[in-house]
Amino acid sequence: MEVFLNIVSTALAAIFVQNLVLERALGANVLLYASRRREHIIGFSAAITYTTVMASPTIWVLDTLLGSSSIYRYVMPLLYVLVVAVIYIVTLVVIWRFFPHFFKSLKKYVHLSVFNCSVVGALFLCSQQGSDIFAYLGYGLGNGLGFLLAAYLLYAAAGRLNSSLVPAAFRGYPIMLVYVGILSLALYAFAGYSTSAV
Amino acid sequence: MENRIDLRDGFLKQNMVLMSGMLIAPVIACATTLMKSLAVCFVFSFVSFAAILVCRFIPRTIVYTIRVTLYTVAAAVFYIPAALFADMIFGEAVIKAAGVYLPVIITNSLILSKTETRFYHEPQLRMVSDVIGFIVGFDLACAVTGLVREYFASGKIGGAEVPILFEVPALETTFGGFLFIGILAGVFRGLYNYRKSRAAAAAGSSDEESLAEYAEDMGEFLVGKHSGQKEKIRIYKAAVRRAMNENDLLEMEFLNNRDVLAAFEAIVSEGQELVSGESGTVTESSTEQITDGQQEQQEKEPEQQSAEGPDTDDGTSDGGRGETAAQETEDGNGSVS
Repeated sequence: MEVFLNIVSTALAAIFVQNLVLERALGANVLLYASRRREHIIGFSAAITYTTVMASPTIWVLDTLLGSSSIYRYVMPLLYVLVVAVIYIVTLVVIWRFFPHFFKSLKKYVHLSVFNCSVVGALFLCSQQGSDIFAYLGYGLGNGLGFLLAAYLLYAAAGRLNSSLVPAAFRGYPIMLVYVGILSLALYAFAGYSTSAV
Repeated sequence: MENRIDLRDGFLKQNMVLMSGMLIAPVIACATTLMKSLAVCFVFSFVSFAAILVCRFIPRTIVYTIRVTLYTVAAAVFYIPAALFADMIFGEAVIKAAGVYLPVIITNSLILSKTETRFYHEPQLRMVSDVIGFIVGFDLACAVTGLVREYFASGKIGGAEVPILFEVPALETTFGGFLFIGILAGVFRGLYNYRKSRAAAAAGSSDEESLAEYAEDMGEFLVGKHSGQKEKIRIYKAAVRRAMNENDLLEMEFLNNRDVLAAFEAIVSEGQELVSGESGTVTESSTEQITDGQQEQQEKEPEQQSAEGPDTDDGTSDGGRGETAAQETEDGNGSVS
């Protein structure tokens, strides 16, 4: 029960307090892409959640074994990318072998959803924030769900953000960033707000 | 299409931060001071340039699933010396303050996407100058962001106190970064569009001609990819001349072939609404059967339709041109990071 609560509380913190996109800006451009279609939101969020959760135990082992080494922070990205790559290839091979139809629809954007800074960034956050394997798993889960929340909030407003009411130069990418900025500001209500100047 | 690649694309037209929205996480969340933004610029430049040079030679006979993995691994390998050099140049404190935003550079779209869709298609020397254009464009945007945010957030530049009339402390937060980059991107696009329309007017060509030229390129590409849909593509091209705008083109950077067609269909629908709104003769179901004569007739009324279009009266022109077609690969891949 304690383990379960540990995972849930860490996941909730990752969703609302330290949201991957809205609080860390990691995967902001993936978000802009994914929020265009409902299927993309689900697909991307599922891929990010799956990859981070699957990779979390391995990177916990790596962090525990090698974390004290002085050169670890230089080679950490390489190790993490290798972990993600193995998960990516093995998963694709399994899907290709057993679910060929699903593979066809998946292969168009699966690489986008796996090799991007939201996944790699989420793993680094797990490493920074997580204390034990359950915290790593919780962060992995929460980061994916946090991405889902942010993507859905952007998707809900996409029609208005791309309408002719918005000045042409701001239509699309710039106004989406402004909107995500406002969402991010709203999320600061959970985390609190302070700057070095205050 | 290769000949149409403009080496200024990366610097202005497809500026990674201000136009295309690639690798914005470090700029939004990390470029809060000049030193941190310079550290991001250094690591990005080093990793991207070296990785692209190497990845350029990875044979395309290898399946894309593996290729994209190799790109990322190559970038991660080059991150090691980049981080070591950055430690020496900027000091460990700055690098630690940059946190996770330096390592995430290894998954940037310039390496994962542009290598595949653009740099592969260029001769080697041209590719080098093209890559440098993209890198300089990113570095400038990132450095200026760090400079402005540090100045207005804390009244300092590079850590040194400077006189300031008012402070905006929120600029050093993530939401401040989102708002700042969003506004900067909008202003940059507006200025770019204005400059393009002025240049086009001075040269005697109109935005419509620029769009028509782009539509021609897109049409050729799509016809090549979807030979059974020539007629449909021809109609798309006509619709694009009226309804397409620069921002839409830029958005397409991330799309795959099917999405490009879907986007064109949306544009056609928009064009149809404009046409049916004026004449009441062209309906959605009949558009695919538009004859040459009808199409020419529609093309004779561009000004009328542009005036009703979403934003064709604002000086938008051909941003992102020549790239979208090249963006598409056999997998329909693009990439985001």
